Amino acid sequence: MPTTLKNEAVIVGIGQTKYTKNSGVSELALASEAVRNAIDDAGLVPSDIDGLTTFLLDNNDEIEVARSVGIGDIKLFSRIGYGGGAATSIVHQATMAIATGTCDYVVAYRALNGRSGQRYSQGVSGDIVTSDLIHWSWYMPWGLLTPASWVAMFTQRYMHEYGAKAEDLGQVALAMRNHAVNNPDAFFYERPLSEEDYSTARMICEPLRLYDCCQETDGGCAVVITSPERARDLRHPGAQIRGVACAAAAEQEQMTSFYRDDITTLPEMDQVAEQIYAQSGLGPQDIDAAVIYDAFSSIVFFQLESFGFCKVGEAKDFVQEGNLSAKGGRLPTNTHGGQLSEAYIHGVNGIVEGTRLIRGTSANQPERNDHVLVTSGVGVPTSGLILGQLT
Amino acid sequence: MLSAEKKKELEEAIYAFVGKPIGPPFTGRDVVNEPMIRQWCDAMGETSPNYLDAVAAEKSPHGGIVAPPMMLQAWVMQGWEMHEGYDEPKNEEHRLHKLLTDAGYEGVLGTDTEQSFSRYLRLGDAVTADTVIEHISEEKATGAGVGYFITTRATFTDQNGAELGWMTFRVLKFIPNQPQQAASDDDGAAQPAKPARIKPPMGHDNSWWWQACTDGKIQIQRCGGCEKLRHPPRPMCGACGSMEWDAVESSGRGTLHTYTVIHYPQFPGYEFPIIAALVDLEEGVRMMSSISGCDYEKVEIGMPLQGVIHEDEDGFALPIFRPREDSQ
Amino acid sequence: MTTRSFSSVDTGEALPPLDIETTAALVVGGALASRDYTPVHHDRAAAQAQGLPDVFMNILTTNGLVGRYVTDWAGPDAVVTGVKVKLGGPNMPGDTLKIRGKVVAADDGRVDVEVTGENSWGNHVTATVTVALPGA
Repeated sequence: MPTTLKNEAVIVGIGQTKYTKNSGVSELALASEAVRNAIDDAGLVPSDIDGLTTFLLDNNDEIEVARSVGIGDIKLFSRIGYGGGAATSIVHQATMAIATGTCDYVVAYRALNGRSGQRYSQGVSGDIVTSDLIHWSWYMPWGLLTPASWVAMFTQRYMHEYGAKAEDLGQVALAMRNHAVNNPDAFFYERPLSEEDYSTARMICEPLRLYDCCQETDGGCAVVITSPERARDLRHPGAQIRGVACAAAAEQEQMTSFYRDDITTLPEMDQVAEQIYAQSGLGPQDIDAAVIYDAFSSIVFFQLESFGFCKVGEAKDFVQEGNLSAKGGRLPTNTHGGQLSEAYIHGVNGIVEGTRLIRGTSANQPERNDHVLVTSGVGVPTSGLILGQLT
Repeated sequence: MLSAEKKKELEEAIYAFVGKPIGPPFTGRDVVNEPMIRQWCDAMGETSPNYLDAVAAEKSPHGGIVAPPMMLQAWVMQGWEMHEGYDEPKNEEHRLHKLLTDAGYEGVLGTDTEQSFSRYLRLGDAVTADTVIEHISEEKATGAGVGYFITTRATFTDQNGAELGWMTFRVLKFIPNQPQQAASDDDGAAQPAKPARIKPPMGHDNSWWWQACTDGKIQIQRCGGCEKLRHPPRPMCGACGSMEWDAVESSGRGTLHTYTVIHYPQFPGYEFPIIAALVDLEEGVRMMSSISGCDYEKVEIGMPLQGVIHEDEDGFALPIFRPREDSQ
Repeated sequence: MTTRSFSSVDTGEALPPLDIETTAALVVGGALASRDYTPVHHDRAAAQAQGLPDVFMNILTTNGLVGRYVTDWAGPDAVVTGVKVKLGGPNMPGDTLKIRGKVVAADDGRVDVEVTGENSWGNHVTATVTVALPGA
């Protein structure tokens, strides 16, 4: 039995739907299509799959997806909470199932009508009945109802502490857009963003302007995960999971961890970084490219610091130096355009892109691709993983 | 929801309307005249002599009485027959709307309009409007529901065919979202309640705190074991594990730890922009609130604040912070 | 009533506030003065059938009030050349429409005034009115 998850599992198939603003189909149709595409991509048939894992927020039951796709019997069905924090956590679930021999092939998926259906930008309301409603009620009466407003609170304090400026945030939005312009799957394919477009866009929640906020998308994504032994017999070079971990840190709240002494860092993401670097034996210097969760531009800053690509407070300098660009940057980041400019599939499109980077098939493929970092939602219990070439 | 095939059919039918005039040009029944101008000015509270006083208007740059510019469209309104409604379509615009209504896009909402005025209208001018369906958007998801934005453009000309101005008007024709939760029927009236801020659900762990707000106090929970203060309230002390607690009243004095100014989206029941504030209270805990009595451009991290209990019109009470003079 | 000269206007100038008590007379009278006989503007039952508690102001009246607000400030000889209007929630009898305005641009003899109208439902109207002033 393995004592660590290092190299125990491999992403061997990726699938997605078209990304649109109005799919015209059910979320189950999107999930089924994404899962089926991932299975096809791996060169498998649905009956090979024996585990399914997704987000707690996903409306597509594992058993409904299994029936719809013709998967048959399954030995694992699991869900992870906390919004986008689940993105790489579902890969973590799958990796544990593969490493322990619980399953042979697990599909991790996420599908949503995020634009034509329930829109997260429309905020939480008193109508949702969940166990954490009391938590949200410490914010709702004062009008903090949307993810943008919660993230803006951290961002404002961060900018105050470290002197980051609006134009620094803009570098993130512009870098993502420059990548999306070359990606036919991206909503902003061939639609560049100028510095002026960025800085004159309407203010959403200060200091976040329109293009600091991700899109809302209808679409789905799925990945197939199996063991290295099985992966070697499959169609595509696999993306081997060097390390994968999740963390919720002390005084954690969902999106509103406002009561820590210092609200300008992400202790949960620091812990994910520590775990996956330790597991993989790698460090920031070994990471060739990254998919960093970008529901908002500013959260890329926090994560660059958590993963040690720069010192705390210095992300503003790191992004100003063109380091995020696939064209010769130190850390080509979100080569698909990210959630800001490709699509918002709750971070799972980032796992698909991470796999493409390892395969060498990104629309903005950098030369070096030995190791790729992929992270999940920010400000919530979260997760991350490092992919490498199959050995 | 429509099948993909039905939707394709619908879209083919509606997009065929783009570029079509809604009907033949329509000339207003009455030329520009003083009685209609006076009636307009009465309702709007207009007192400008250029609209109302022939003697004074003669000396104005217009050289005589003119109609208020915003009245332009009024000269070509259909008037009385509008009260019958348009269940039976009377022009191409109505036919377009009906196609959508029949497909479930029952709602209609004016969203914006733009007008340009080439000159002011003088007494005796006869106004003709030529209206075209200029644009229909792709299907969009909006707060009201999924639908299509339809833009019409009217060009206004005078009796000599010279342009007086133009107007675009955009409506959303949409499938209404699930109706809002029914208004409470306590008072027996079937009227929707006036929007108010979202209220917290009341549970064991928080209702006492809100009750204290109603009594005019900002409370901070205090552990019965180690006396550590904590906020927001929770049932157990994370430091010592005690489930005993009481509360102390906060002075409301604090400083601003961080904030955001919320501009968008704008929810009913709140006044925008909102200055959302995270306040370091002098007792040592942090509290979420908002700031009033301060221009949002003047808000600064570190500014001194004073919390007070604010009561909404509906009786709901909560702490709100104001800038504090440090000399106090 | 005198008309403002262009040179006396600076970007950022706030217009005097205007609060308008919305009455049934204003809603119905404004609709009829603009020859808008759509039932929801004069027939409470028709408005209630659309889910609103009472008759609500038509767009022409809102525009008329916005226009009056700007020319009351600019003076009778200011010439309104255009207006862009974004529509918000309804305005009904018993509510107060709080109209506020600010000069947002002044260029080449023309001034753009941004006008907002709010009531207890929130934003009713946001408009940009362009007026030409003498004395450029």
